[in-house]
Amino acid sequence: MTFFAEIWELLSSAKYMSMLFTGLGTTLVVSLFSAILGLFLGTLVALVAICPDSPLMKLPKIICKVYVTVIRGTPMALQLFIMMYAIFAIRGFPQEITAIIAFGINSGAYVSESIRGGILSVDIGQTEAGRALGLPYGVTLMKIVIPQAVKNVIPAIGNELIALIKETSIVSMIGMYDLTQAAKVIGAGNNMASYIVPMSVAACFYLAIVYTLSFGIKGIEKRLRAGDRR
Amino acid sequence: MESKKIESTSEVLFSIKDLHKSFGNHEVLGGIDLDIHNGDQIAIIGPSGCGKSTFLRCINCMEDPTSGSIIFEGVDIADTSIDINVHRENIGMVFQQFNLFNNKTVIENIMLAPVYVRTKKLRRSSKSGDAPKLTKADIKKEERERAMALLRRIGLEDKADVYPSTLSGGQKQRVAIVRALAMNPKVILFDEPTSALDPEMVGEVLDLMKELAKEGMTMVIVTHEMGFAREVADRILFIDEGKIKEQGTPEDVFDHPKDPRLQEFLSKVL
Ligand SMILES: Nc1ncnc2c1ncn2[C@@H]1O[C@H](COP(=O)(O)OP(=O)(O)OP(=O)(O)O)[C@@H](O)[C@H]1O
Ligand SMILES: [Mg+2]
Repeated sequence: MTFFAEIWELLSSAKYMSMLFTGLGTTLVVSLFSAILGLFLGTLVALVAICPDSPLMKLPKIICKVYVTVIRGTPMALQLFIMMYAIFAIRGFPQEITAIIAFGINSGAYVSESIRGGILSVDIGQTEAGRALGLPYGVTLMKIVIPQAVKNVIPAIGNELIALIKETSIVSMIGMYDLTQAAKVIGAGNNMASYIVPMSVAACFYLAIVYTLSFGIKGIEKRLRAGDRR
Repeated sequence: MESKKIESTSEVLFSIKDLHKSFGNHEVLGGIDLDIHNGDQIAIIGPSGCGKSTFLRCINCMEDPTSGSIIFEGVDIADTSIDINVHRENIGMVFQQFNLFNNKTVIENIMLAPVYVRTKKLRRSSKSGDAPKLTKADIKKEERERAMALLRRIGLEDKADVYPSTLSGGQKQRVAIVRALAMNPKVILFDEPTSALDPEMVGEVLDLMKELAKEGMTMVIVTHEMGFAREVADRILFIDEGKIKEQGTPEDVFDHPKDPRLQEFLSKVL
């Protein structure tokens, strides 16, 4: 049988397709919720990082710095294993949630750096003008700086989301049934001659998600830029 | 002793005493004393890097002074434990780079701070039990009308709803000036307001500033426009090496400079 005939066989098999879609579901759920958690954590950490120095902010700033350094300095796979086998090694604790927490925490560290960079890229004069008018720091940040930073941050956040979706395939290493794991299981079955066919199909699935996402991000970017000049 | 002659009968607005500012080990301001009276128009001149901007930015605590005091309306605003924002509401500032809010339309730029400050006061007074007479919508409407009147004054009412990126430099700076005016400040600080402008736009901005001066607005202006300083200011400060080396009327400073550094400076710029 040729490669393409095998692909066709896989695509027309209800059983294999349902396996792939089950896996896809896990991949999407883990990606979506860890992206939300990551955005939330990342925003929080970025806001702490750009706050002016003050005795009150000292400890939070140190914690955030350590968090970003440790998370960015260690492999995602190890972070997931530690979460899975040490921190959340509770019997019956849903693996999906552990994975979401692990990926969310990981993503938050990268997102915080993007957001921080985006905020710092807004001309300091904007903040100064707000402060000189008597607006408090927080108000200046919310009304003036962040709306301008969002535009600068969207592309980097988009890249982070794309990386995150692909990286969730690591969960297959701990046996979670995501898209990659589904392909592995299909490939290991009797009917498929090799892994190559299901793996290729799964890769196309990833590609489709990532392509759709980057298309959406381009659209958002365009809309935001259009608002610049009127 | 000549400078002792300068006196003013009007009320002292700022009393700056022994103001020092260092960045790390680098002392930029080495003890500045200055009284600013209501209605004063003060021009600050001096060589590049002498600390003019730093001094101006210390006046509204955009830079925290290292030591010294700045008494504004009876309060030492150099004291970091006070709420500086309520004082800044009364101290306008105009920047070399205009710094209009890019994400706001022209009229929103002007209205933003007055609406915010008045709404905040409204919330306070309604908490303390006084029946508030205005709603936020009323305040917005009033401030929009005031902003429109200010725009009319500078002939830019047709630009109310455009974004700053579409304005020329001179238009931007005039909007920045009325944005400061919208707060009804007691004083406006200008840091080289015309230095970033194309030459043909300098005039329109200086004309607006002259108008304000005529109306008696208290102004402190860092400038390289010596002709303008002479025409508008009633007092010139020459700052060099972080100190006020000489001050006096424009005639004293420009026509009879005594400090050798001032003489040298003037020979270069005039
Ligand atoms: N945030 C800062 N950190 C460190 N040094 C600074 C800072 N701001 C200003 N300086 C230094 O302080 C000195 C005075 O700067 P300042 O901007 O007040 O000069 P200036 O008189 O306004 O000059 P110019 O005419 O070029 O605007 C300069 O040597 C400058 O390098
Ligand atoms: Mg300067």
